[in-house]
Amino acid sequence: MELQFKNVSKKFDNVYAVKDVSYTMGKGVYGLLGVNGAGKTTLMRMLCTVLNPTEGNITWDGKDIFKLGATYREKLGYLPQDFGYYPDLTVYDYMMYIASIKGLRPIVAKKRSIQLLEQVGLEKYKKRKMRTLSGGMIRRVGIAQAMLNNPHILVLDEPTAGLDPNERIRFRNLISELSAERLVLLSTHIVSDIEFIANEIIMMKAGGFCYTGTSEQIISSMSMSVWNCVVPQKEISNYIEKYKVGNVKATAGGVELRILSQTPPTENAIQEEATLEDAFLSYFGEKAGDRNDA
Amino acid sequence: MIEMMLKYELKKFFSKRINQIIIVIVFLIGIIGALLAIGSVRYVDVEGRLHTGGMAARHLSEDQNRWKGELTSKEIEQIVGDVKELANDYPEEIPNSEYGRTGQSYEAITNFIIGILTPDTEWDDRVLYQLSKEQGADIYTFYQENMKKMAEEYGTTSEKKKLIEKEYDTVKIPLVYESTVSWDTMLMYTQTYVIILAVVIGFLVTSIFSSEFRSGIEGVFFSAKYGRTKAIKSKILTGILMTTVVYWIGMGMLNMIAFSIMGTSGFFTPYQISDPYSIYSMTYGEYYLLMLLGGYIASLFSASITMLITVKMRGSNVAAAVPFFVFCLLPFIGRMFPGGAIFFDLMPSVFANIIEYVKKPLIFQLGGLAFRQLPFVMLLYSVLFIIILPFVYRVYRHYGLKKS
Repeated sequence: MELQFKNVSKKFDNVYAVKDVSYTMGKGVYGLLGVNGAGKTTLMRMLCTVLNPTEGNITWDGKDIFKLGATYREKLGYLPQDFGYYPDLTVYDYMMYIASIKGLRPIVAKKRSIQLLEQVGLEKYKKRKMRTLSGGMIRRVGIAQAMLNNPHILVLDEPTAGLDPNERIRFRNLISELSAERLVLLSTHIVSDIEFIANEIIMMKAGGFCYTGTSEQIISSMSMSVWNCVVPQKEISNYIEKYKVGNVKATAGGVELRILSQTPPTENAIQEEATLEDAFLSYFGEKAGDRNDA
Repeated sequence: MIEMMLKYELKKFFSKRINQIIIVIVFLIGIIGALLAIGSVRYVDVEGRLHTGGMAARHLSEDQNRWKGELTSKEIEQIVGDVKELANDYPEEIPNSEYGRTGQSYEAITNFIIGILTPDTEWDDRVLYQLSKEQGADIYTFYQENMKKMAEEYGTTSEKKKLIEKEYDTVKIPLVYESTVSWDTMLMYTQTYVIILAVVIGFLVTSIFSSEFRSGIEGVFFSAKYGRTKAIKSKILTGILMTTVVYWIGMGMLNMIAFSIMGTSGFFTPYQISDPYSIYSMTYGEYYLLMLLGGYIASLFSASITMLITVKMRGSNVAAAVPFFVFCLLPFIGRMFPGGAIFFDLMPSVFANIIEYVKKPLIFQLGGLAFRQLPFVMLLYSVLFIIILPFVYRVYRHYGLKKS
């Protein structure tokens, strides 16, 4: 089980959305981390055969995925970033329709649909029209449809967008359960989504991979240290201008800042243990998505 | 597998609120059309009272069917004599009671006689009064001579001439008459409904593909096992099925309501009763079926062309306007360019006006093969419909996959 892309690029009107990326993936969870516009979605769409690369090739167990066609797609589950749906279909009919185009036999399709709707907590909503569901519920239907064919390769583009904190935790646990048997590629700009479940993290910036490795490797590769210090309210702007600032928290004695810097930003600054979120800030120069960002 | 795809594709289509509303409206138009057709029939009884509505058609048919059977020279002579007598008795205007008692029953036959006597000139009912009794008795000889002249005039090549003669040879003389009230009434309403259905079906079909062109939907669709193969076939099949279902249910309702009330008298009456020199030798029933079949081909073509434009343009905005342009605007544009007559005579808009085209002696020739306009146009658009479908499949299948 090996998904490999070699020197893959995708150009739209002479602008590279993805440029010359190469990587090999096997079983496990891969986190694709990057700011909006980094090229994560384009890369995922290519891996799902929705788009083809302008240059390079993508292979599954050594064979070109576009030549494999249905044989490859049979093993694939995909949740797009802005998951679209058919508003007038019921949840159950939607699942059955997707099951049919995924090639499931009617009996299997019925069983899998019910089972997955139970798993994502939507069994009692199966007769509801899709248009009546909340954003979080729709996202859960999206996750369920991606799992219908019990895929070997599961590609999830921003899967937690729109989920509340409880759903997000439940989803993370679900991914962990599933990852043992398959390849899961998960894109997000929310570090906490992948921090503890991804075996490997790929950081993407301006269409290319800027760093790949485990969470620990990425953190230890940081050239800066993490500092916690309290500064007066009126000086915040100076610090934000001078340093890469993570969290900003108002306290009784001033404002508590989490700062990335090679040297202590203040005399009383305390060095903290770096997290993946700090690494994100370090590499991308901006703060990662909020933990409870929807 | 494809059955399940088809089932849910149809469910997707019919569960759309806008599609439901449009289909209900188009069926309502069919029902209203049938009621208007029934209401448009006028019958005058022997006391001169005018009746309209459902029973009027039945009474009128009954009245006209006094002349049912072979329309021999003897009957024609009798009718010509009667017409002249009435004209002498009532030089200003025939009273309603007299019309209801006699004139109404043979009106279609007098029109047939006038048609025979004015083969290539403007309709002129005075010819009827100028006709002697002997000429009336000899009307079929005159008819057959004129048929020969028409074949000479419009048979500009030997192949065309042969075709016209062959068609005229199939006209059985004397003609067998039966009242065609319901068919005559329904032709215009059916023709109009054909246009409505072809335009509406073309519009409806666009949503089968355009619903996938929304961000996030196409990703799931094309990454599915059959997203680039069988699922596209099931979409095309849905288009054809939907066209068939909507067209025949719509037409079925219009016709069932109208004919169940007005009756079906005249199914076997030759169309030549209405247009003696038409190059289409057929019965009224066949004429009606020709119109229905033409409408079905128009709807299928409308569906296939809008599917193709939708997948090519990745949206339904332009595609939705195409059927309206083809079936509603093109006939008017054709009238503005008389020089391009042949071009417009081969357009799908022909299906929107079969009533007129069946009267025209339009014959085309390719090499040694001469053919009449309507069968050719029907064949042409049936073939085009079939040819377009693989293109729909190919274009949609390669969505997102550009050649590098």
